[in-house]
Amino acid sequence: MTKRQLFYVFNFLILALFIAAVVVDNNREWKGYQAEFNRLEVIRLKEAMNKAPDEAEKSALAVAVKLKKREPVAIKQILANDLGRADRCITCHPGFDPLANPTLTTPYEKAPYKTPEVAEHKSHNLTKLACTSCHMGQGLATTVEDAHGEVPHWEEPMLKGVYIQASCVRCHGDFKTLKGAETAKRGKELVDRLGCVGCHSFNGVGGEISVDLGDIADKPVSRIDWSHTGECKGAECGPLPRHQWNVKNWIEAHFTKDTLLLVPGDPEGHQCAPGAHCEPVPPSGMPPFSAELSKEDAAAITTYLMGQTSNKVPSNYYVYSAKEPEPKFANAVEHGKFVFSKYGCAGCHGEGGKEGRRNYNAKANDQTKMEEGREPTLVKVVGNFTRDELRDKIKKGVPASAVAKFKEDGPTPPLYMPKWEEKIKGAELEDLMTYLFSIAEKQEAW
Amino acid sequence: MAEPIKRKDFLWLGWGAVAAFCGAATAATARFMVPNVLYEPSQKFNAGPAKEFPIGVSLLWFKKQRVWIVRTEKGIYSLWARCTHLGCTPNWFLDQNRFKCPCHGSNYTPDGDVVAGPAPKPLYRCKVEVAASGDLVIDKAALENRPGVREKAPYFVEV
Amino acid sequence: MADNNAPAAPNPAPQPAAAAPKLDMDALLKEATNNQVWKSMFRNWPWQDNARHRARHIVDNLWLHLHPTKVRPRALETTFTWGLGGLSFLLYLLLTVTGVLLMFYYRPTVELAYQDMKDLEFAVSFGIFLRNAHRWGAHGMVTIVILHMIRVFLTGSYKKPREFNWGVGVILLTLTLFLSFTGYLLPWDQLAIWAVTVGTNMAAATPLLGNEGPFANLLGMTISNDVRFVLLGGTTVGANTLLRFYVMHCVLVPLVTGALIMLHFWRVRKDTFSAAPREPNEEKLDVWPHLVVREYIAAAICIAFIFFVSVYFNAPLEEVANPNVTPNPSKAPWYFLGLQELLVYFDPWIAGVLLPGLIIKGLCAIPYLDTNPKGVGEYNWKDRPFANAVFMFGIAMWFILIAIGVYCRGPNYFWYWPWESWLIHKPAPPATWSFPIWAGLVSLAAYGGLGMALPRVLKGDIDWKKANWGFAVFALALGAFMGFKGIETWRIIVVDILLWLTFVFGFLYPQRHLKELDFTRYSVTQSLNLMMMGVLLKMGVRLGLDVKYILELPQFNLNI
Repeated sequence: MTKRQLFYVFNFLILALFIAAVVVDNNREWKGYQAEFNRLEVIRLKEAMNKAPDEAEKSALAVAVKLKKREPVAIKQILANDLGRADRCITCHPGFDPLANPTLTTPYEKAPYKTPEVAEHKSHNLTKLACTSCHMGQGLATTVEDAHGEVPHWEEPMLKGVYIQASCVRCHGDFKTLKGAETAKRGKELVDRLGCVGCHSFNGVGGEISVDLGDIADKPVSRIDWSHTGECKGAECGPLPRHQWNVKNWIEAHFTKDTLLLVPGDPEGHQCAPGAHCEPVPPSGMPPFSAELSKEDAAAITTYLMGQTSNKVPSNYYVYSAKEPEPKFANAVEHGKFVFSKYGCAGCHGEGGKEGRRNYNAKANDQTKMEEGREPTLVKVVGNFTRDELRDKIKKGVPASAVAKFKEDGPTPPLYMPKWEEKIKGAELEDLMTYLFSIAEKQEAW
Repeated sequence: MAEPIKRKDFLWLGWGAVAAFCGAATAATARFMVPNVLYEPSQKFNAGPAKEFPIGVSLLWFKKQRVWIVRTEKGIYSLWARCTHLGCTPNWFLDQNRFKCPCHGSNYTPDGDVVAGPAPKPLYRCKVEVAASGDLVIDKAALENRPGVREKAPYFVEV
Repeated sequence: MADNNAPAAPNPAPQPAAAAPKLDMDALLKEATNNQVWKSMFRNWPWQDNARHRARHIVDNLWLHLHPTKVRPRALETTFTWGLGGLSFLLYLLLTVTGVLLMFYYRPTVELAYQDMKDLEFAVSFGIFLRNAHRWGAHGMVTIVILHMIRVFLTGSYKKPREFNWGVGVILLTLTLFLSFTGYLLPWDQLAIWAVTVGTNMAAATPLLGNEGPFANLLGMTISNDVRFVLLGGTTVGANTLLRFYVMHCVLVPLVTGALIMLHFWRVRKDTFSAAPREPNEEKLDVWPHLVVREYIAAAICIAFIFFVSVYFNAPLEEVANPNVTPNPSKAPWYFLGLQELLVYFDPWIAGVLLPGLIIKGLCAIPYLDTNPKGVGEYNWKDRPFANAVFMFGIAMWFILIAIGVYCRGPNYFWYWPWESWLIHKPAPPATWSFPIWAGLVSLAAYGGLGMALPRVLKGDIDWKKANWGFAVFALALGAFMGFKGIETWRIIVVDILLWLTFVFGFLYPQRHLKELDFTRYSVTQSLNLMMMGVLLKMGVRLGLDVKYILELPQFNLNI
């Protein structure tokens, strides 16, 4: 090519690329959505105008049509300075703009214009709270994918469906009595019933065997090993697709998957350097709850746990619960049952102590594999103890090193009986034992 | 004046003053760039009387400061409770003489060395010193995990 | 040249005869220019295509008079300069323009910086285009400045009388890297703070002045008074660091760079272009239009490329910065990944301070070490075998190390091939071992002593073919011995290849080509050369034999 041809070609190429930049910049997704909304509004207002009974209303609507037609397409946002949010959701969902559309409803059926009547939208001051304080997602973004937040490098994707109730838990201390937070309430009940606090603590209160769940919703994605969180083929699970790496999916996987597959550990002990001394590591100690929990149960627990965050809202935004009345118990057995649940004994020994849960490589009856190891089934074993022996056992616990192994060179079983003497004392301890003896199966005479 | 000052000497003196000014200005600028107050959360904390820690692993400051304080026959060091794998917080198990990470099962000895699991490096030790009052002062900003270095001051203090 | 005056004076298109109100462009132009105002601005008017006007076009123009009025034909060849120097300056200008525009929407505070990046992407008109152009332009500038240096080396353009300007160029290269590095922090995302944390941690290893460097306690250096503390304005990358880097990135470093660019240009002009004559008594060509046209086209291609990339590829932005969450792995910006890779093999003060310092000083010293008068202003491999081979070897090593850092390092900085998933768990590397001190001292002394002495002592001509065959026999024997000891084949190959490279570049080349050099120049050249090969050898013994340190003196922080 001659220099002159190059001169023309590249001058025009630069111009063309700059025009491309202008076009790309001008064709933002949100513009189309908002223009379409304005068009729908004009049609709706015109129809209303045609149907209007009297002239006064007709001319008022005519003005409204004119104004709507002239309305520029622009990014709109709700600023919630106290909560550090600038949410541009109303750019594409103009029906939820509390200033432009105070009714917060539209007659449209199609997303993103669908704006059904939602009691919570009315009861919350949207100009102060904005959108993402509850719904999560990326309020600053203005494309569909980025705004809804299921994209890499955004750790708070939008809470859809029942999961939105996690946000009720974040601000409402009284969420258990709150209308609309039924799933979160159910999640909390399941957490209590399953005995999660036997191993996990919430803000320092609870068991010490596993991680604290008081701020589990803040867990950074990079602290999670995603290797086995996705689809499983037999005993091998692959990773979730990258855009689904978020803490909600991580929590939920614990209730929808066998935890043995989710965190397989290193039971053969071949993870360290060749030649180095290497001990085996058991898989996740968390018992497999997936078999006994329905999909809805899993979602409910996830919802409740997604409300566990240390990013507290300012105290004038928080709704404190009324003090719950001290529970009263008819007798010692009832009280003991309450204590059993309060300290999460069911987490390992099963509800009502009826079936010990999995404890990898612990010794159990009729065992062929390490994963068939179990925690003691209380109804079967408690009868073998005298009251003093049982008291001693609960107080002193059984350290992990003393848990009998199925395979001697296998990993140390992950679960063990903690020392309870600091926590369960006095009447609580005595009534717990009364309860335990009451559920023990009657021992046959030997 | 007995000896009149020569032009050559005078110039040397004059340029000397300029050079001194330039040097002083450079030094002053360097000093200006060292901030005297910081708005960082302090990484240092006072862990109380050093002599009162029992031999073994102490969990006294584990919850608040995320460190363990280990006392041996000779002295004290402090381990930062952050797994070197993905940054979770391990737990101490007295009966097994191990720190174990609840996330992916890395095991560490009380020295901080990895004995199992995916962690690539030993646990970090924090800088420790005993103040004149006898209090143990721990600085989490200075960390060390190389064997041979971590066993010496300032990552170890004789008590 | 058929296209001599093409852009300057396009021929007027033949006017259509029947057009009713005739628009006479020539007459209009005459009207617009034939007055006092125009003539006061453009002295050289009206334009006439003759030698005098072409020269005045250059001389009378503030910007163009950086050029001489005539240059040698070789200087015009695209394949001589590749336009790299001009493009470096073009990108400097492009980055200034885009950078100033970005400053209107960017607030350098911890609370707002990241939000402003999101605004640039989602809410500001042309915001993401400008940010992309700035980001990709910065990577482009780093690349082109390095390529420019390679070009200047290969054409021998640093030789007398241009030694000083080469040094200015080396400083401009480091300033370019520093400009890019300071800008890296500003988005305040995880990528930014951890890259800067890794990068600035090396400063903490500075001898005497860094709290982790050797002899730090002599000056009483701690984490809160050393050189890293001054750079960061704190003990960790935080609010002060963001502000400091912002000021350095937007004001301080661009000003210094701009001043040095002026000096650099001025010296190019005073020292004249290096291009060698292609034939004796050749005639020089007018800069206007020949050189200006070529520069214009190179600039247009470069801008078109940056625009293209900026329209279609977005600059990365990760999660908001969180000092409590360390990404695994944390990597420095790509141009520092070679140094970060060296951290795997050396103590931080060697990899992060000593070696980069030696590289910069070594580069500056090149014009004073190279006394070979041949090969100025032309690509000449025949007359400069040693200089070209060693320099290109160093450049290749630098880029291979960068490529390893970018593509082959995964979680825990373990080796992951580019096609491997980072989710696969890799076992820790095998345990390493160090030489006992006496063995370390002996091997270092042997390497240094023999390396310095042999090329000087062996006077005769060595037959390279025979030497290489001899080395092959040695390598085979060594390989067989290692294999006998149960060492894997790939390790044997790594060790053999690296030993062979050291043999060729550390012994054969200097033995043949450094004979004439005086003692001082020889010592400096060969010791720099040996250090470069030593880095490679050290990597070889680590990868091949799991050797941690050859000489381990932890009490002096001296581990090699």
